Amino acid sequence: MGTLAPAELRALARMLDDLDYYELLEAPRGASGAAIRDAYHAASRRFHPDACRHLDPEVRASIERIAKRVTEAYSVLRDPRRRRLYDERIASGCAERRLQLVESAAVATQRSREEREGRTPQGRRFFAQAVSDLARGETASAIRNLQMALTFEPGNPVFEERLVALRARR
Amino acid sequence: MAEIAIGIDLGTSNSCVAAVESDAPRVLPNAYGEGVTASVVAFGDDGRITVGNAARANVIHAPKTTVYSAKRLIGRYFFSEEVKKARAICSYDIVEGPNHGVRIRIRENDYSLPEISAMILRELKGIAEAQLGQAITKAVVTVPAYFNDNQRQATRDACRIAGLDALRILNEPTAAALAYGFGRELHQKVAVYDLGGGTFDISVLEIGKDVFEVLSTCGDTFLGGDDFDDRLIDLLADEFAAQHGVNPREDPFALEKLKVAAESAKKGLSVDDEVEIRIPDVALDSEGKGLSIGRTLGIGEYATLVNDLIQRTFKVCDEAMQQAGVVNRDLAGVILVGGPTRLPLIRHAVRDYFQLEPRTDVNPDEVVAMGAALHAASLLAPEQKAYLLDVTPLSLKIGVAGGLAETVIERNTPVPIDQTRTFTTFQDFQESVRIRVYQGESRHAAENELLGEFVFGGLARARRGETRIEVTFEINSDGIVHVTARDPATDQKASTQIKLSSGLSEEEIEQIIARGHAERVETALPGTDPSVRPGEAAAAFAARFGGPEDTPAADPPTAPESIGSLAGIGDEVEDVATLDEVAIAGSSEGEAVAAPDASLASLETGEIEVLPDELPDLEEILPLAPHEDPLSASHEPSASGRFEIELDPGDSAPIALDDRELFSAAGGDLGAEPESGEATPADPARKG
Repeated sequence: MGTLAPAELRALARMLDDLDYYELLEAPRGASGAAIRDAYHAASRRFHPDACRHLDPEVRASIERIAKRVTEAYSVLRDPRRRRLYDERIASGCAERRLQLVESAAVATQRSREEREGRTPQGRRFFAQAVSDLARGETASAIRNLQMALTFEPGNPVFEERLVALRARR
Repeated sequence: MAEIAIGIDLGTSNSCVAAVESDAPRVLPNAYGEGVTASVVAFGDDGRITVGNAARANVIHAPKTTVYSAKRLIGRYFFSEEVKKARAICSYDIVEGPNHGVRIRIRENDYSLPEISAMILRELKGIAEAQLGQAITKAVVTVPAYFNDNQRQATRDACRIAGLDALRILNEPTAAALAYGFGRELHQKVAVYDLGGGTFDISVLEIGKDVFEVLSTCGDTFLGGDDFDDRLIDLLADEFAAQHGVNPREDPFALEKLKVAAESAKKGLSVDDEVEIRIPDVALDSEGKGLSIGRTLGIGEYATLVNDLIQRTFKVCDEAMQQAGVVNRDLAGVILVGGPTRLPLIRHAVRDYFQLEPRTDVNPDEVVAMGAALHAASLLAPEQKAYLLDVTPLSLKIGVAGGLAETVIERNTPVPIDQTRTFTTFQDFQESVRIRVYQGESRHAAENELLGEFVFGGLARARRGETRIEVTFEINSDGIVHVTARDPATDQKASTQIKLSSGLSEEEIEQIIARGHAERVETALPGTDPSVRPGEAAAAFAARFGGPEDTPAADPPTAPESIGSLAGIGDEVEDVATLDEVAIAGSSEGEAVAAPDASLASLETGEIEVLPDELPDLEEILPLAPHEDPLSASHEPSASGRFEIELDPGDSAPIALDDRELFSAAGGDLGAEPESGEATPADPARKG
């Protein structure tokens, strides 16, 4: 086993839910993808269940718990879309330190779709009208519809970008 | 003497055993000095059981009592496509056992697949004991990376029957990468292209000094060297039938002759550009004169026969590379595993695909066993010299209302891991939920492999969509799947270790061990009774075919895509009758439930719905739909522990109605909400 004594392992296993993924992997918040991978490899050397077959069952259970969380941390942080969600969650002060993988992938997918098409029915409707206005070359109407879409979804980056581009075109 | 754990590559056609001695892995040769032993079991008239090349010689003269390619059947349901294929082509009798399991009938005895595999393992254990001069009880056994949990469990059972403690069921490509990179302090990405007798696997790994991280693995358990042989068998059989009006496929003896010839021709083409095929006395003509086959086969003609099979492997490679997020130029090496990769045809195709010369310093027949031996030694050692970080090859799913399956752990997720998703009830005042666990990539439950199920009962009385059920899937470091259901309101729990439902029960395994068939295997050791050693003809056969390749084939190249095709419906009636028992058994808390039930019947008939109408619809389960506030700009779905399902209303999937039902029944925020959970007209399955 690596560097941790059984008592330390047990303590770490107990406080898992209080550690965020960066703390668990001992990687800085801004770590690059390669640095995240190296941190994962290093953590795996410390907490690999294979390395503890000779230890007593309770310690083994602790290591298994830590190892599972290390894997989860890596699975989130190596994926830029999941990592962005996770970073936002940590920044917002959310107490939950875990992100479920399938759930977060779905959220990320939905979010990118929402940014593309709008996240509210009204936003989507006005945005879609703006798009069809543009297809017909009716720029003024498109701008009005984009402005309407933005009143329902202030700050939608895709809407704003399109609006800025249209105004510049005029 | 220090304890030694061995590494075993239990192959479809050939097996290999290795052990680490003074820090280096060594393949342990059998009594005839061969590094690989045929995965063939022959049941003699005198009750003797022989394994290996001597047994393989029996295929020709005793096809009914010689079992080969058993790995293609292990852990499968009797109604599966693979078993149907095997029944059509195998010369031995494949019959249905309890719980839709598979048995092989030899004279009056039925043998389960783990028993057959145990006989091979027993032989390998004997080889190791003879070579190492000590009793062996521990092993790491490899399986194709793409094996599902049922197949892994059955392999584990085989180890137990053979008297081996399986320290780990290890993926073959991972073992190969370990053998390649162990102790070399490499920092590189590699691909392992593993084309065996019956399966194809591709894994992409990142080696970081002593860490072997699998980035992705993909495979096809219906594609191997056997399929290459089948193409040639078909060609020869068709030509023979056209010429003589006799179909050699109808005569098991003739068919075995063609198989041997096809395999031999494939090996010949690994060395030469052209081979002679001569098969005397394939059949007799009307005057009782022998009709034979004689032709030459060039590498070009062979390439035409098998080209689409090779291309199929690259489709799988595309997927693995994409999942790993790597492109060709990221790879520093391609490791070839499996006998068929000796074919220059395949080597060239692999080189062209990866734009990289495949490694030639690795023996494709032995590298997996060597890696397994390294891992076995590592597991016994106090200090680790290598760390394997593997992935789960197939998504783990849970069956939900409408015959769909929701993913809880995606494929290629690193393990060990645990993941939780929250589900809700489908009906008002639903008292229990049936938790069905599947493995596979289809959104339709029936198109995935059913691993098992249990019923989680005692839910508080509530309207549909109000109850929360948290389902946690755990894959531990031994690759075993545990499932736990929890009602967060009451903290009541039920859990099970998923156990192959068509597999052997604990009692059956005990009985098999007690019967001791595996122990009857005549291990051919130097100095043992000469009568169990192969005769001269068999030895000559072994010398000729003892090379590291595949045994005769198990299946024809008939549409392997037709996995979902309909079976006869004759078997389903009795299954439905057992459903009650299952539900009752399952509601006793925390008990694992074997699953000889209606879902199997529906698998068989290809239907989507899983519960027949006359039974209470108590057990349907729904994933929690996204919680979406139409006017709110902020969107924090996951902080509450809810999840979002990735259902696009514009999705062209043929189950759009079910999608809407899922959304509306669970969340109530999206679209029209039906007043009850009644079946929509487009859902014929639930109408029954």
